[in-house]
Formats: sequence, C-alpha cells, structure tokens
Amino acid sequence: MKPNPYEAIPAIITETVDETPLIRTLRLKPDRPLAFRTGQFIELGLPGLGEAPFTPSSSHFVPDILDVTIMKAGFLTEHLHEAKPGDRVGLRGPFGSAYPLEAFENRDLLILGGGCGLAPLRSLFLTLLDEIHRYKSITFYAGAKTPQDCPYKDAFPVWRKHPKVKLVRAVDAVPLGEAWDEEVGVVTVLLGKLDIDPASSPAVVCGPPVMMKFGTRDLLRLGFREDRIYLSMEKKMYCGVGQCRHCLMGGYYVCKHGPVFTYAQIKNEEGLWD
Amino acid sequence: MLIQADELSSFLQRCQAQSLGPYREVHFPVWPADRDSPHAVLALAPGQARPALDGHRAVDPAKLLFYRVRERLAPFSADASATLLAGVKACDVRALELLDRALVNDDFADPAYRAWRERATVLSFDCTDAAPSCHCTLVGGKPYAETGFDANASRFGDHYYLSAATPKGDVLLELIRKNAGGDTAHSAIPAKVEDRRAEMTAKVQRQSDAFARPDAFARLRAAPPKGWKEESAECVGCGACTHICPTCYCLILNDESRAAGFVKVRSYDSCQWHGYARVASGASPRPRIDERFRHRYLCKLVTMKAEFGTLGCTGCGRCTDACPGGIDFRKAVQKLMERAGDERPDAGAR
Repeated sequence: MKPNPYEAIPAIITETVDETPLIRTLRLKPDRPLAFRTGQFIELGLPGLGEAPFTPSSSHFVPDILDVTIMKAGFLTEHLHEAKPGDRVGLRGPFGSAYPLEAFENRDLLILGGGCGLAPLRSLFLTLLDEIHRYKSITFYAGAKTPQDCPYKDAFPVWRKHPKVKLVRAVDAVPLGEAWDEEVGVVTVLLGKLDIDPASSPAVVCGPPVMMKFGTRDLLRLGFREDRIYLSMEKKMYCGVGQCRHCLMGGYYVCKHGPVFTYAQIKNEEGLWD
Repeated sequence: MLIQADELSSFLQRCQAQSLGPYREVHFPVWPADRDSPHAVLALAPGQARPALDGHRAVDPAKLLFYRVRERLAPFSADASATLLAGVKACDVRALELLDRALVNDDFADPAYRAWRERATVLSFDCTDAAPSCHCTLVGGKPYAETGFDANASRFGDHYYLSAATPKGDVLLELIRKNAGGDTAHSAIPAKVEDRRAEMTAKVQRQSDAFARPDAFARLRAAPPKGWKEESAECVGCGACTHICPTCYCLILNDESRAAGFVKVRSYDSCQWHGYARVASGASPRPRIDERFRHRYLCKLVTMKAEFGTLGCTGCGRCTDACPGGIDFRKAVQKLMERAGDERPDAGAR
C-alpha cells in the first residue's frame, strides 16, 4: 500500500544563513534521508503554521543534509525567517521531475537564472560540480535586482575559479553607496556574450516569470532548440501529488509532470508565464 | 431479487438504528421533516426522518459524506467499520467512478477517501423523477446507474428490483433477503423496470432538448473571450457551484494550529476563488472572474475527460440550482459551443 503522502518527515534546522535582507538559507537535517534529485521540490512547513513548496538548493549527492533557500514572501516564510537552529520543520516529498543530467553530458550547459530562481540552480550547479568530469563546461548567468539582493555571496568567488565554469553576474541597478564590479542590466543582456554553440547546447532557465519569458525568447532567437531549453516552472504546487489541482497548467500538473519541463513540452499551455 | 418497497425502506431504517447488519453508519437521502418539498436532502446524522429513496438526486452531493468539508489526512488512522450509502442516484454514482480514479491512483491515494471506499457499500436507486435542472442525458448519462454501484434498486409499482454487482453488494442483498423477505426467484431485470427506465430517460431527454449541443467539448477551448465574459456576467465567484459539484475535489491543506506535531487537514477549495492559483509572488494565472469561470467549464468538460476518461459533469444540475447569479450550466455550455462554432479544436487540448 502506498504511504500517506500527507505525513511530514520531521527535520531539525542545523544552521541558518541570511543571504540578503529577503533571502535566507536553512540547513536541515531530516530524521530520515530524503533522496531528492536536483530540480525536484519539497513541501516545507512549520508545525501549526502551514507549508509551501521549495526547491532544495544543495547538491543531491549530499545525502543527509538539505539546504533550502527561502525568500520572504508571506506568512509562512516570515516565520521561517525567524526560525532558529534547533527548531523543527516538516518536510514532504521529494516531488516532481528533476533536471535530466544525462542530457547535459559532454555538452556546454547554459544556466540562466535570477532572484530566488537561483535556489534550484545552486542545487543543479553543485550537483554538476560533484561530477564535473561528465560535462564539457558550465556557463552560469545569474541575475539580481541590486548587489545587496545577490544570494550566495561567499560561494560565487569560489565557484568561478573552477576551470570548466564561466560565471557572470548582473544586477538590474546599483544604488548609490553599493559597490559592484560585475555586469549591470537585466540578466538576459549577458546572452550577447555567449560563446557556446546554441544549436547543440542545453539551457536551464529559472527565475521570475518575466525573466523566464524573455530569457526563453532570447534563447530561441540565438538558436537554442525548444526541446533543450529546460524551464523550472512555478505554479501553486500545494499538495505535491496531483490531488489539489491548484498547479494545473493546461493538461499538466506542475507538481507531478514538472516542475522541470522542456519549452517544447509546454509552449502552447495557457498561462505559461502568468 | 424483488422486494416490497416499504420493506426495503424499513430495512434501511432498521440498519441505521444499528439493529441490523454490520453497518455502523447508514446514510440515505431523507425528506425534510418540516416542509413539503420535492427536494430530498442527505442526512448527515441518523435521525427519524423518512428515507427519500425514489425521486431524483438529493440537494446535496453524496461526496459530502465521504469527502468531507473538513477531514484530517495526517496522522491518519483508518476507521474500518462498514458503512452503507443508499438512495444515491446515477449522477452521484458516476461521480464516484471519477473520484475513484482521481483520488486512488498510481501516484497517490487520499487516505481518508481510500478508507471510506474500502468500508462503504453503495446501494444506488433508479431515478423515478427528474429535477428541473437534471440533464444527465446531455453528458452521456442515464437516470439509472449501470456501473459503479455495489447494488442497485429499481423501482416499479410497489416493488424494487435489486441486483448486486460486487461481493459487497452480495452481502447486502443476502442481509436483505434474510431480514426483509426478498423474493429471489427473479434474477433478470423485469420488463416493467426496463419500461420505467425508458420512460425516465425520455423525460430527462425532453427537458434537455432545449439545451442540446454538440458533445465535442474540446472545442470549448476555442470559444472567444467575449463569450466567456458574457456567460460569466452574473458570476460573483462564490464557489457554490464547485462545492456542490459531485466531482469537484480541489482541496486546501491546512495545518492544525494548536497541534504539537504535524497535523494535515484538508478542506474544500474552489477554483472560482481569486487566491486559488495565486503564487507567493502574487501572480495568478487567472486573476479575472471570467478566466476562472472558463477554467471550471474546461475542467469539467475537457481536462477531467482527458485525465480520467470521463466527463467532470454528470448532469446533476446542482451547480445551476446553487448559483446565486442564476447561471444555467446547460445554457452556458450551449451558447459557448455555438460560439466555438467552426473554430478548429485547439491542438493542445488534452
């Protein structure tokens, strides 16, 4: 008999990192390992306060510890931002589809992300780094509103040292008094400097809807194939198993058939970018 | 098996009083005690009310009894005591067939629904009347169930013809035979039942004629935005249609706020409500009422059909009865299908 999909796995917060004023990473140790594949999501909740879908931001090769990067957006996430090491949370999942790592093998991969969309991309990136011999190169374009809004500040300088990695960050604007020595502009402007072959390279896109919409458009214009553009979609993935129907997008449940789709799969779906 | 109508009615009442059979809970529609109404209601608690086994479907959908407005899913411990649901009509039985596919499948099982299904015996009854909003024949249904029940009762004259379709149904019929004097000499549907069924089907067809439309519902996707705006002009987005629909099962997952551990409770949600599909950033795929109205019609007639192989509308007409804006589902579908007209069906329709 199938296990009850609504039973939560208890987990302890072992560490918290405030990435930006609005973004925080929780390091979690679940009571029993939760074997996710990068790209899949989980439901994370506080007892009595509710739960919401998040994508782990750590490598899927780390078995017993899970990082989850959370943007403050409402009731539950405000409480999660106040949580302390030692506090208990509940996890359900993992749910949905993962990034197809085998499709990235021996290829130049482009990762394009912005804002809190960098959370699943950090997971992907770290997972790729753990087996970097399988891949030709990784070009990682990361966007944020301002320098202060960039998450994983300490990690980027380390990541970009890797010989197979080309990592560029862009911010929409640099407010007075903030220092920034990387690119300025929406993240899609970085595509102008892309030096991999679009026709043969896979691309992964994750970010706010407007960024995903224009990012996908630009990738198509550059010559990326529709079936090699991987989108991490966000709808209201509420139950995680395809029961509650909130995340239905045309004929797809984002929680079950996604969240990772190729653009070719979903390009005709209504409300794709809404 | 044949049985006197009064005998069966009194048998069910005795079952409900727990003096007969294994059934710890017995539910059937009843006539409202205090007024002369043609509309039977489902009795949530056993009482003295008169069973309303004939006529048409009750005001409330049977799902209220087994997919409760509020129900704990985790931690969950199954109640194994047998339940008897009697007096439901074909439209509710057909809804059960959809819910079975939606709620217990390869991907997951709703623990509460699965437990109820395992312990429940469903005794359906043929319709002997049609409510003004009944239109099962427009969605490929009939006013009597042919599948999906454990046992079925067909009224003719002063008798019911009872037939079992599952082992649970056999158990029930055996209990009836022992305790209510069923006549088992008859094992084939009497001609009088067939006549009665044909007569009822004709009645529903007659009242549905005015709403006839093609049934290639995938074409609904092609109906222009103006059509949806017009049909939803009186919609206030209250969600009554979804809560009273026998096949709607969208849920809100709540956490028990005073619990020490993790307690998940589901309650009804409605796709007609603005917050339904809204994500954390505030974006919603259907911010307008006409978009949400369209979503429901497509869900019932296109999406659920593609997912479960059966329409999400069983023709019970309850959404029409419940709508404070007076929107008639039959009329709206008819007009929208007209508007979809010669447009080609959407290639993406699944």
